[in-house]
Amino acid sequence: MKDMRISLAIMSGLQDGSMIELSEEGDNGTTNGQKWTLSIGRREENDVCLRHDTYVSRYHALIHYQDNTWWLEDCNSKNGTFIEDNDDDARVSGTIPIETGQFFRVGRTWLRLQDF
Amino acid sequence: MSKISLGDILINARQESIRMRHYYLGVEHLFISLLEIQGGLTTAILEEYGITARYIVDAIRRVAGKGNRQRLWAGMPNTPRADVVMSIANDLALEDRRTEISERDVLIAILDESDSIPIRVLKRLRISPQALLEKAKNAPSEQIASLNPPYTRIEFGEQFDSAQSITDEHVFVLRRMFFSHAAVRVERRLPGGYSSAVLFVVTPINADNTTDSPIVIKIDRTDNILEEAARYESHVKSSLPPLTARIEDKPIVVETSDFAALRYTFVTDANGYSRDLREAAQYLPDLATWLKNILFPYFGKTWWMQRSPYRFQVWMEYDWLLPPLLILEHIAENDAPEEAFTISDPVKRARLQKLDYGAVVIVDGFSVNRVYRDQNMIQLTLGKGAEASKKAYKIQVKGINLSEYAFFRGEVVERLAGRVYETRTALMLQALNALEPDFDPADDLIPGSDKSVRLPNPLMVYDNALDEFYNGSISKIHGDLHLGNILVGVDQNPFLIDFAQTRNGHTLSDWAMLEVSLLNDLVMPSQGDTWGTARAILGYISLINRGKEIPSTAGEIRQMLAPIQAVRSIVNQCLAKTETRAEYFIALSMCALRAYEWDTISLGARRLMFCLAALSFYELQQMPRSSESGADSRTSIWNE
Repeated sequence: MKDMRISLAIMSGLQDGSMIELSEEGDNGTTNGQKWTLSIGRREENDVCLRHDTYVSRYHALIHYQDNTWWLEDCNSKNGTFIEDNDDDARVSGTIPIETGQFFRVGRTWLRLQDF
Repeated sequence: MSKISLGDILINARQESIRMRHYYLGVEHLFISLLEIQGGLTTAILEEYGITARYIVDAIRRVAGKGNRQRLWAGMPNTPRADVVMSIANDLALEDRRTEISERDVLIAILDESDSIPIRVLKRLRISPQALLEKAKNAPSEQIASLNPPYTRIEFGEQFDSAQSITDEHVFVLRRMFFSHAAVRVERRLPGGYSSAVLFVVTPINADNTTDSPIVIKIDRTDNILEEAARYESHVKSSLPPLTARIEDKPIVVETSDFAALRYTFVTDANGYSRDLREAAQYLPDLATWLKNILFPYFGKTWWMQRSPYRFQVWMEYDWLLPPLLILEHIAENDAPEEAFTISDPVKRARLQKLDYGAVVIVDGFSVNRVYRDQNMIQLTLGKGAEASKKAYKIQVKGINLSEYAFFRGEVVERLAGRVYETRTALMLQALNALEPDFDPADDLIPGSDKSVRLPNPLMVYDNALDEFYNGSISKIHGDLHLGNILVGVDQNPFLIDFAQTRNGHTLSDWAMLEVSLLNDLVMPSQGDTWGTARAILGYISLINRGKEIPSTAGEIRQMLAPIQAVRSIVNQCLAKTETRAEYFIALSMCALRAYEWDTISLGARRLMFCLAALSFYELQQMPRSSESGADSRTSIWNE
């Protein structure tokens, strides 16, 4: 695993339209050789900090890259992590695979993974 | 060209942001602002898709979600995306050498940016932003302000009884629906259901005086029509027999009216005549056989016969038939005392019954099911998403200033306070008193058909029954199977209409509803209105419950009750477990409880419905309670 990089587009809320670029080189996330992990939450120390959304938990969700796949994990957040599922949003429990381009929601904020 | 300035658009957008407690200016607020321009370009284009601005506004609000009471920043900053959109709009105006950004510029910019919440909502509604963009670019500006619908003549057929009302609102929607025809002939109004919906059989007439085939038009409140169209798409469309009424095209929604319409294809009988089962029953040689051998297998193959085991708690399937759990008068959330009682999932109904009038209650985690704009009232139901669509535990909140608070259908209400204005118990007692009972409504037992057997008072037992579990089946069900929703066409073919409640649910509920409708619409009108008559009919139903023949001394009643026996034989085929009819009696008791307060049926019928609920509860009490062998399909969560 080398040169891991991904963009995260914010798709709703105050920061709607902004793009967060994350890379291993830029010292984002943690890695253990097998897996690159990015954290999302309201606290500053997260890789993706959503400080304006009060529905986001302090440590809300994780994004992993492992086995050539992106994974989304909910960290038992109070208000949940959701993926778009037809008309209804489906709540994520545990870790699920996720594709770039797919929408997911952390608290009230919609996000989308995009290739860098 | 509409004379809306950019300033007006921004003011509207900020107001929307404040209503939603967002406190930033986003593309969703800009788009909603465009949708609020009366006669504007945006609404005009979207109307071509049969969708109102109102509906899209609510869909956008649902995706964006309401913000927190607490403000985390000052002022009202633009989102980065809103900045992008405004700069595109600015470029468009500059290219055109205009000094002022127009509605069209903002609309094109939003469609062009193509990644915002409103665009995602449009895509979900299967409206292509690309197609909208073309329309927005090409719409001739003069036409936009004067979109007067062409005039369609409304005529009335010979069968149309002038006593049957047709309102200006109906005529308006019909004109809109058939705007491409020269005229439309209203053949007749079908007696229809018990809701606000009305059904007309109409024949569209072309400019050269040729006529199209007659179709059935349903006109109802916009929310209901759009929900039926959605349910039709997801549950009905793919499971209909080859020849039947289908919903044609998209629903027609009129921006300036609360009403909307949809059309079903309809095939008339040989005389060009069409009837619902309420009338057709007079002509069908043998209604009982028709129900058993035609209606049931015709739809059954994809509906009731494809069932799987289903264990349900009664309230989940049937609470929606009962009056609202509570009617509240809205008060400001800040005025609610600390110790106020909170209603949330799971609902503890036993504690609700102890609430006094005027007590403050806080509702938490309910969904908005309906917004009554004209009455400043909203209706909430338990849960969210698919769960909320079961419509259990309705709570009505009145006295809400809807111009100040934005409520949208599907919104999950987090904290709403109100004072108890009415309870379900009181509403059900009032409905019973309207029947002038010849017994004490507070008694545990009430008279039945047989002097020696007294029946449980439904008002005393229904609440516990809601918590019981039953083993039954689940399948696709119509959800509102009464005689008015069954049409009879060519060769006595059955057509079902009105799919507003169609869903996967307890299989037998359709047949319990049909039994109730047969009794109310075919049997009772020719009988008397007294409690004595109701109990006499109840005596025959009691015989049917026992599988006994109705004695020939009963006269014409024997013939009239044959369709009920047909329903029971269908029920026997659909039981989850042979000979275990508890799942039917619970369905029947709940359907009867729903009907005894309908003022659209005769007094005698309502009295019979109350007695029928009592008899059904009696039958349930007679059945053995759950034993270790699991011989019974009913178990209670209460320890006895």
